[in-house]
This record gives sequence, structure tokens and C-alpha cells, in this order.
Amino acid sequence: MHSNKHIAIILPDTLQCLGLQHLLSEYFPPLDITSYQSAETFTSDKNHESYDYYFTCAEIWVNNMDFFLPRKSKTLLILNQQPIINKTASIYQIASNDSLELMIEQIELLFENDTNTIQSGENNKGLSAREIDVLQLIVKGSTNKEIADKLNISLNTVLTHRKNITSKLGIKTVSGLTFYAIMNGYISGDEIEL
Amino acid sequence: MPLVYPNMILSEVVAEHTSLIPVLNRLGIRLGLGDESVKAVCEAHQLDTDFLLMILNTYLNEEYFPEKKLQSFHTSQIIDYLTKTNQYYERFQLPNITRHLNSFIAMNPEGNYSLAVIGKFFAEFKNELIKRIQNDQKNWFPYCLSLSRQDLSRQISQTNDFSTGIRPEADDPIEALLSDIKRIMIKHITGDYDENLCYAVLFSISSLEKDIKQHNRIRYRILVPMITAMEQLNK
Repeated sequence: MHSNKHIAIILPDTLQCLGLQHLLSEYFPPLDITSYQSAETFTSDKNHESYDYYFTCAEIWVNNMDFFLPRKSKTLLILNQQPIINKTASIYQIASNDSLELMIEQIELLFENDTNTIQSGENNKGLSAREIDVLQLIVKGSTNKEIADKLNISLNTVLTHRKNITSKLGIKTVSGLTFYAIMNGYISGDEIEL
Repeated sequence: MPLVYPNMILSEVVAEHTSLIPVLNRLGIRLGLGDESVKAVCEAHQLDTDFLLMILNTYLNEEYFPEKKLQSFHTSQIIDYLTKTNQYYERFQLPNITRHLNSFIAMNPEGNYSLAVIGKFFAEFKNELIKRIQNDQKNWFPYCLSLSRQDLSRQISQTNDFSTGIRPEADDPIEALLSDIKRIMIKHITGDYDENLCYAVLFSISSLEKDIKQHNRIRYRILVPMITAMEQLNK
């Protein structure tokens, strides 16, 4: 869903990659995980900058320093053995032969430290007055263009409102929004066809 | 990863994963499984063991979806299974949810309006699902089967609406509606209501959701590519 952390795993080693995926989904759900086998497939994905966290190996990290260095606080290195790099480099890292407990601890540190983490509750805020206006028009069957005209706002603004409404309520379909609006008295049941 | 293998004792598998019972039932396998292995049960019921295992494993494990292996089965096997799941929704799961929902709405001393709204929302979903099932049975499945038989004499007019089949998986309207019903109940229900009946409704809706997700994975990722490939061949 909208509040899930987006994770990119860039690891050429299939076993490492699967193991990490398993560990993450077992202990840190819900997450949206995408995995890449090489730095090339990763950087050719146009969304590669938009992930919340990156998990990769030392080699890829070093070869793509320009990308990973500014994202140090969002990146965790997977090493093949106990780190040779000294800990003062303040890079999050785990080694394949670390104990499970230690790995979980490191990943927790990574997830806690980042300020980009979506605070729970942020999505639960009620709708703004403007969003309610838009919601009322959506459920009456207005098109985005009609909503823009009626409220004197741009089409883009309408789309942003729609996106926010869906992410705040967790409801995607027009039917779902309609019943939500009726339940909350934003629209009376008689105003629309049930 | 698969969880069920041919040599496992089916009764033990079922004891571990009771959610498989309706899946086995729709394939004609009933309880009273004794100590037979999966393979033996399949042979006794004249079922393709590989196919049954594929169905059970993809049902149990959402991550497990070997597309190549699934596409090696015959179109008629896939359609037969999807038809059976459709029948199960129509005959059992939908009536079951409706029954729970009706008691949930009826047990409402304070006249909580939001329960009736949930009831209406579910009715709308139910209509959509039944519409899709009917279109599958009347149009889309027969079309797929005739293609797989290379039955070119039976030309079906291109004006037929097969859009239910060819929609991208992520946009499936049936799944979206179900997830919204759940969301509305879990996140937005207000006022007084009976907790136990509410749980019964949500539980039955969630089990339908799980089933439909598997149906849709097979529908969009196996059947649709099969049909598209056959259409290309026939051009």
C-alpha cells in the first residue's frame, strides 16, 4: 500500500538476494521490494532514485559512489564476510555470516535512522475541506475536467487531490469512495443512484 | 517455493492448511482422506497430479507462480479450474458472505446507518462478480476453448466484449472493490456494531479475496497469454 517502504535490492548473487528478501519480508513487513541483478539493470530503471532504501554489495556501492554516497543513510551493504572496512565509515552493513539477530539489529537501525520514514498516522489525517469538495464531485460522477472547472482549479491539482484522497482513505474505486462519502455524510444516499 | 509434494500424506497437508479444503472440494476430492498420498488420491480421482499440486501450491504461496510450468498445461485444464472457482464463488462463497452480512446488518439495535451502507457496497460488488462470471461462461471461456481446439469454423464475432479477460492484472476491478470493502470496514466503520458478526463478515470476505487473487493470477498471467498466442497463430 501507499505507506509501505520501497526497497531496492541490487545484488548479483541470487542466493544472497533471495535470502535478504526473505529476511525482510519475514521480519519487516509490509515492504515493497524490487530486486535487480546488476547495477546496469538498476540504473536503467527510471524509478531507481525513488526508493526509500537500498541494499547492495560493496562492489556495486564502490562503482556507483556518486549515487550511493548521498544516499548513505538509506543504504545497507551486504558483505560476504565480516567487514574489513572500519565501522567509523558509518555505513550500514551486514555480512552473510553474521548472526540473524545481528542482521535484524542493523536493519532496524537503518529503518529507524532515516527521517524519510513515513510516520504512522500521517495517512490517517482527515480529508481537507478542498479534498471533501473533490470527493463529493467524484462520487457524483464528474470527470476530472468538470471538477477542475467547477472548483476553478487546474487539472493537475484535481489529480493531486484524488491521489491524496485515495492515500488518506486507502480506498481506490469510485464505488468505494461513494460509500465512504455516504457513510460520513458528505453526500446523502438519495443524491446518487445506489 | 512449493509446499506440497506428491509423496506427502494429503490428510496431513490439509490438517496444516485447512484453507485448502474448498480447493480440494471443487476438484472433487472430499474429506475422509485417510492416509493416502497426494499422488494416490489424484490417481483415485483421475486427476493430473502435477496440475493439482500446481493449484494447491500457488494457492498456498502467493510468491510461488511458475508461469512456464503453468503454461504447459492444456487450456481446457486451466479453463476447467477457473470455471470451478467461479461456480464455487457463485454457489457457496457469495451466499455465505451474504448470510453473515445479513445477520451483521440485522443485529443493529441503534440503527447504525453505516452497516446498511456496507451491505449496499457488497451488493454492488456481488453484481460485478456475477456479471464477470456470466460473461466468462457465456462468451469468454467458450471462445478460449474454441481457439484451443483450432475450431476455426466457429468464428466468433470480434465485437464480443472480452475486456474482462484482457485487462492488466493490477487493475482488476473485482479485486479493487473487495479490497475497498475491507478497507471501509477496517478503517472507517463508525457507530455500534456486533464485533463477532463483523469478524465473520471480514473473515469470509478475506477468504474470497484470497481465492480471487489466485483465480486472477491464473487468469491474467496464464490464460490471457495463452489466448493471445493462439490468436496470433490464427491470424
